[in-house]
Amino acid sequence: MLSRVANLVYWMARYLERAENTARIVDVNAALVLDLQSRRDADDPKSWESLLYVSGGEELFGRLYDEVSERTVVEFMLFERRNPGSIFSCISQARENARCIRDQIASEVWEHINTFYLKLRDDDYARYAQLGPFEYLSRIKTQSQLLYGIAESMLPRNHAWWFFELGRFLERADNVSRILDVKYFMLLPALDAVGSALDIIQWASVLRSCSGFEAFRKSRRGQLNLERVVDYLMLDDAFPRSIYFSVREAEHALAQITAEIPHVAENAATTLVAELRAELEQLVVREVIASGLHEYLDHIQAKVAEVHEAVQNVFITYPTAGAYKW
Amino acid sequence: MADFFQNYALDGFYDEMFAAPDRPRPHYERLAARFAKMENMGELLARQQHADQTFLSRGVTFTVYSDDRGTEKIFPFDLIPRIIPAQEWSRLEAGLAQRMTALNSFLADIYGPQRILREGVIPREMVESSRNFRPEMVGFAVPHNLYVHINGTDLVRDEHGEYRVLEDNLRTPSGVSYVLENRQIMKRVFSRLIRDYRVRPVELYPNDLLALLLHLAPAHVPEPTVVLLTPGIYNSAYFEHAFLARQMGIEIVEGSDLVVENDRVYMRRTGGLAPVHVIYRRIDDDFLDPTVFREDSLLGVPGLVRAYRAGNVALCNPIGTGVADDKAMYYYVPHMIRFYLGQEPILPNVETYLSSHPVDLKFILDNLPRLVVKSVNEAGGYGMLVGPHAARAQIEEFRGKITANPRNFIAQPTLGLSRCPAVCGDSIEGRHIDLRPYILNGETVKIMPGGLTRVALRKGSLVVNSSQGGGSKDTWVLSAGAVPAQAQGPEKIIV
Repeated sequence: MLSRVANLVYWMARYLERAENTARIVDVNAALVLDLQSRRDADDPKSWESLLYVSGGEELFGRLYDEVSERTVVEFMLFERRNPGSIFSCISQARENARCIRDQIASEVWEHINTFYLKLRDDDYARYAQLGPFEYLSRIKTQSQLLYGIAESMLPRNHAWWFFELGRFLERADNVSRILDVKYFMLLPALDAVGSALDIIQWASVLRSCSGFEAFRKSRRGQLNLERVVDYLMLDDAFPRSIYFSVREAEHALAQITAEIPHVAENAATTLVAELRAELEQLVVREVIASGLHEYLDHIQAKVAEVHEAVQNVFITYPTAGAYKW
Repeated sequence: MADFFQNYALDGFYDEMFAAPDRPRPHYERLAARFAKMENMGELLARQQHADQTFLSRGVTFTVYSDDRGTEKIFPFDLIPRIIPAQEWSRLEAGLAQRMTALNSFLADIYGPQRILREGVIPREMVESSRNFRPEMVGFAVPHNLYVHINGTDLVRDEHGEYRVLEDNLRTPSGVSYVLENRQIMKRVFSRLIRDYRVRPVELYPNDLLALLLHLAPAHVPEPTVVLLTPGIYNSAYFEHAFLARQMGIEIVEGSDLVVENDRVYMRRTGGLAPVHVIYRRIDDDFLDPTVFREDSLLGVPGLVRAYRAGNVALCNPIGTGVADDKAMYYYVPHMIRFYLGQEPILPNVETYLSSHPVDLKFILDNLPRLVVKSVNEAGGYGMLVGPHAARAQIEEFRGKITANPRNFIAQPTLGLSRCPAVCGDSIEGRHIDLRPYILNGETVKIMPGGLTRVALRKGSLVVNSSQGGGSKDTWVLSAGAVPAQAQGPEKIIV
């Protein structure tokens, strides 16, 4: 398949996954804020500021807005045209990519992305406030889940599909680490609260934002605490939103891609993703927490970025001189 | 029973459907009878709506440049077909094939021995001053001696019903996807009528085009790879590019997907570079190769022209065809037919004045309010003066332009283009139309039985271009012997 087309599919999947996870990140924060408000001023901007650090948008935000508030942060993360990471921008990019490859994807997939985009285009903060964060964000999540459903049942399992999967799971591994980080930021001022009732409620919120609350209950039976939740979201091998699961799926997608092009069976992307998977398999969560969860989450994001770079270099932007010729 | 045509006025134009008010031409009788069976205008409008809806959901669109959202719009479609009887079509076919052959000979000649220039039939400076003449290609022998592969010749009918050639489109003529899509829709909306009329199919076009492209491949390649080169998604014809690539089962590529190494063209795939042997390019010469033509082109492929000259890749259309569809060169096409084929043109041109001829220039300047003036290098209805509809200031503006640069303009009398009934709001009115058939020049000359009938949907307008408020109709070329008969049972609308 053409490198450009593969890249369009790959990015389309990343944008879609990112939009969905941004909805999840805002969602978990809205839930955490509700819990916090028992002991804080309802309008404390600090409770929303953390989102900007987690999403990496604090600099751009500073240039675009004068003050941090629920309104400005939500506007920035959901609707801001000038923020390339906003849900609107992601969906709009995904739609643009889909439009370029309309002849290669099922028309149902294109039509759904198009409809999603057209709905979102007319939304704004007022609409979000009117419906309330949970209702509004759950609609966004439903739209993207619907899209995955359509894609899964419509797209042939060819090269394009595996680039779609690769993009989706690399993005998910990155994003879930950021969702975990939100909680870390919230905890900063009150580390002594670890193990309190509030702490448990907050971890439940984090799990819910990953649709992992019930699955966690079923799998572990144990009480919610920092270590178990981190272990679950980071390392569970059956939960489809865990980092480990995502990395393993990305590895699988890469293997499917290279199966058709045996001369690149050994490549930097495959090596890096296998290393990351092996690292996670050896990981002891207690030690990670002891030596700094935030730092480790940063490390995972950096590793995922390296895999991404390698994917670009191996399949998309490889130098033509000396390239394999069919 | 409805009489949609009760108030239909001919207004002195040649009408495709009616010989006189209330008297349909024989090949339209069946259609008139069919329409008379409809309950009321509502039934027809329901069908029109069904057609529009289908176009929208199938995404049969073109991109509008002026709109900052780069919106895709539907090319308006009119339900009432344009019908061409068999014998009328065979004359058109003969005329179009003749013209294609002459144009190919002309291109072979000016990029070769230049006999027609040396013998003074066409002034040398007319050719050499054409913006689309490519001196780089002089002396280069193209494969199979095919100097042009695809032509979309625009035809009009005058007040007497005589078909005339309005212009040739020898570079990257577009619109054929609408022909195919229009027919798909009409098959759903008027299935019975199409069958009863024995309308000739247009659906073979993608096959014929693919056969042509494969024919062009370098001889030594057993299984050639054909691609369609598009300027990209923002091009107004992108829908068509994707459509044709899908129909032919070939890859659609952008310039950045292609690389040239050792004078061979490759496309960049996820698993390495794959060779490309034939490029159906939908970008102009100017943008093909920044090392030869426009340096600032980001659409093209550096080194492509070298690979082409080395015979490692075929281009369709070849480079340099534009010199023959220059509007000033159009004037000379009847001369070419006489010069190369020793025949009289079967299809006449529209009477044309060249402002580069002193005598014609004087005539043009004296008669501007009655003439249509066209800039020789513009397409799409841009750069045009329609004298009878123009304000005085605009006429004076053109007078200045023509005097300053006579090579750049031609003038033609305003034509009373033929009209065909069209659904306009909730009534049926006559609207001006033209016809663009598609002529393929491969192992033989092949002409799709039909073409794009464009209709100027604005009342009184003569401009049929989609960029200027035009729409299209399905064109029905009838099989020989498909005599008009009474229409049969009622058709059900398929929704």
